[in-house]
Amino acid sequence: MAYRAEPPDGGWGWMVVLSAFFQSALVFGVLRSFGVFFVEFVAAFEEPAARVSWIASIGIAVQQFGSPVGSVLSTKFGPRPVVMTGGILAALGMLLASFATSLTHLYLSIGLLSGSGWALTFTPTLACLSRYFSRRRSLATGLALTGVGLSSFAFAPLFQWLLNHYAWRGALLLVSALSLHLVACGALLRPLSLAEDPVVGGPGAQITSLLCHGPFLRYTIAITLINTGYFIPYVHLVAHLRDLGWDPLPAAFLLSVAAISDLVGRVASGWLGDAVPGPVARLLMLWTTLTGVILALYPVAEVPTGLVALTVAYGFTSGALTPVAFSVLPELVGTGKIYCGLGLVQMVESIGGLLGAPLSGKGNRISRWAMAAVFYHAGGGGEGN
Amino acid sequence: MMTEYSNLSLESHNLSVTAAPITSLPVEEEMMTKAAPITSLPVQEEMKTKAVPIISLPVQEEMTTKYSNLTLESHSISMTAMPMKENNKGNQICVDRGIMLQRNVTLERPNMPAEKNITLERPSNVELTCQFTPSGNLNAVNVTWKKGDKLLEDNYLVNATGSILYTQYRVAVINSKQMGSYSCFFGEKKQQRGTFNLKVPEINGKNKPLITYVGDTVVLICKCQDCLPLNWTWYSGNGSVQVPIGVPVNDKYVISGKHANETRLKITQLSEDDQGTYWCHAIFELGESEGHVELVVLSYLVPLKAFCAIAAEVVLLVAIILLFEMYTQKKKKPSDDGKEIEQGEQLKLDDSNGIENSGPRHRKNESVGQ
Repeated sequence: MAYRAEPPDGGWGWMVVLSAFFQSALVFGVLRSFGVFFVEFVAAFEEPAARVSWIASIGIAVQQFGSPVGSVLSTKFGPRPVVMTGGILAALGMLLASFATSLTHLYLSIGLLSGSGWALTFTPTLACLSRYFSRRRSLATGLALTGVGLSSFAFAPLFQWLLNHYAWRGALLLVSALSLHLVACGALLRPLSLAEDPVVGGPGAQITSLLCHGPFLRYTIAITLINTGYFIPYVHLVAHLRDLGWDPLPAAFLLSVAAISDLVGRVASGWLGDAVPGPVARLLMLWTTLTGVILALYPVAEVPTGLVALTVAYGFTSGALTPVAFSVLPELVGTGKIYCGLGLVQMVESIGGLLGAPLSGKGNRISRWAMAAVFYHAGGGGEGN
Repeated sequence: MMTEYSNLSLESHNLSVTAAPITSLPVEEEMMTKAAPITSLPVQEEMKTKAVPIISLPVQEEMTTKYSNLTLESHSISMTAMPMKENNKGNQICVDRGIMLQRNVTLERPNMPAEKNITLERPSNVELTCQFTPSGNLNAVNVTWKKGDKLLEDNYLVNATGSILYTQYRVAVINSKQMGSYSCFFGEKKQQRGTFNLKVPEINGKNKPLITYVGDTVVLICKCQDCLPLNWTWYSGNGSVQVPIGVPVNDKYVISGKHANETRLKITQLSEDDQGTYWCHAIFELGESEGHVELVVLSYLVPLKAFCAIAAEVVLLVAIILLFEMYTQKKKKPSDDGKEIEQGEQLKLDDSNGIENSGPRHRKNESVGQ
């Protein structure tokens, strides 16, 4: 195979963007909309909501901790077979879940099996995307990640419709069929050989070299801190609004508004990241600092217009930092080591994500926002180095 | 009649057809609800002679003689034929042998039909009061009570205080015959009407159909918010016919209930025949109330067919993608070598072009220079 000196920055790369778009939809969109199923599970298995929500937690944890496995395998075999296998595993998990007789059954099938399937799909795909683009990397990543937001919009009503017509067993069966499309997405990931590949060596060598790489480690810690703060606002926004006397429907509507501005932020930031010369890390610092400031303002804002404005701004900035965060990594470690690098980052940042929500639950209304703001600033500051 | 039901709880319901201040009420009420020491009678008579002739005073006396351990409830609605005045909210405290009766007067906009739904679970004494402020002369108002369409002859009082006309109807509700709609009518220029609807508590089934699969087990639940029915029964409905579900039908149907205010029907070994509407009846002393749950039984083939269709589509997509890739690669491979040769030639051509080009340019410059 001929080794390319430079990533193609187009051509088949756009098909990879398409594939990544659908994959982020099918992985994170499904995860985010799964709450619709929880109500049914609570009734069907007569278990409290807290225990049922563990299904999603286990799934997310397995997906993130399993990322290095996905990375290692795709370094060795290329992303295509790994992602296709991941798709089959994810679909199989949902299929088995439709026959569940107890909650433990669901923990294992959706949490463990589908979770590992997702671990094998998401990370290799984003890494593959980074290899296909260099000049337009941020834009490509931003576009691909819009899949998450759009699918959350589409899947929640879709899942509810499925539940109304097929009950949860039939609905899970059809979600499994939906997840099979991950296999088709995997097929789109044509292997690409870049000039750096023979130099960096196999996965083992890559990981050891990464772990000794100063900037990489700082980046990982920064991303972890950001991730710790990332979920806090989403988890607590509705409660915060209700505390201030909002009705449930306008509060939910505001969340949708945040999701839309998140989407816009992702694409805009992606475009900006490519248009502005110089290291992308500066943009990451910009967005994280802005997000931190906005979050710090939340306890102060009581007026509805102020809250709406803050939420739109928050959605925009937090969406904006995602593609940039992913784009910084190839600059740090090079496209050769991108699979392993991304896998390691995902694994470590998941610790932050897991801790963030429960930690914030302990504080009161105001301290939560302060905590989130602190995490963002810390992450941004660390990134600036 | 009334004396026999002294051990029943008293329910007092007021429908005020007025907005006038009712500061005089406490005295009036105390008179009306007091247990019947004859000593109060002269005062009562005195008060009542001022107003429209009283009907059935003795009955009232008899009824009030025998309460014991009453739980009292009162509600009131006011409406008026006149424009509403301000500050018509008031709390009055009435006392009946040491039991505090708190009456909250709530007001509604004028010209709205005054109707009140009263939920009764257990037999009780019910007291319905209508207040009316006529625009003209009190004595010109004709007061009547009706149950449904039937005119009621006795068991009610009419009273007046100041410019407000009161009428009160008492009934001991012991079985379903006394339930229904009671209306007070004030005949002035335009007839004003207040209605009390006595109903048994409502049962909640489920609004959305319940979807299950063949061979599954399902639990149908009917709940009542704040009531405790005496008994529950289940019926399955096919069309408009309701067939009772008897418990000892193998193990297929199991009726249970964790609390008294709910009932659960567990159906095992579902088949497509079990599809349809199920009715749960709650039996009270005062009547029956029902709720319904709709059950849909699907076969596993229904979602399975959809699954297979989508899976086939995915396989097709993958095949198309891979075939397309193989096709483009085949096209590339033979021309790849050709391309490399071409590129080499191109480079040579470029070089020679450069030399050639530089030549003419050079010559041109020389010619220009000359």
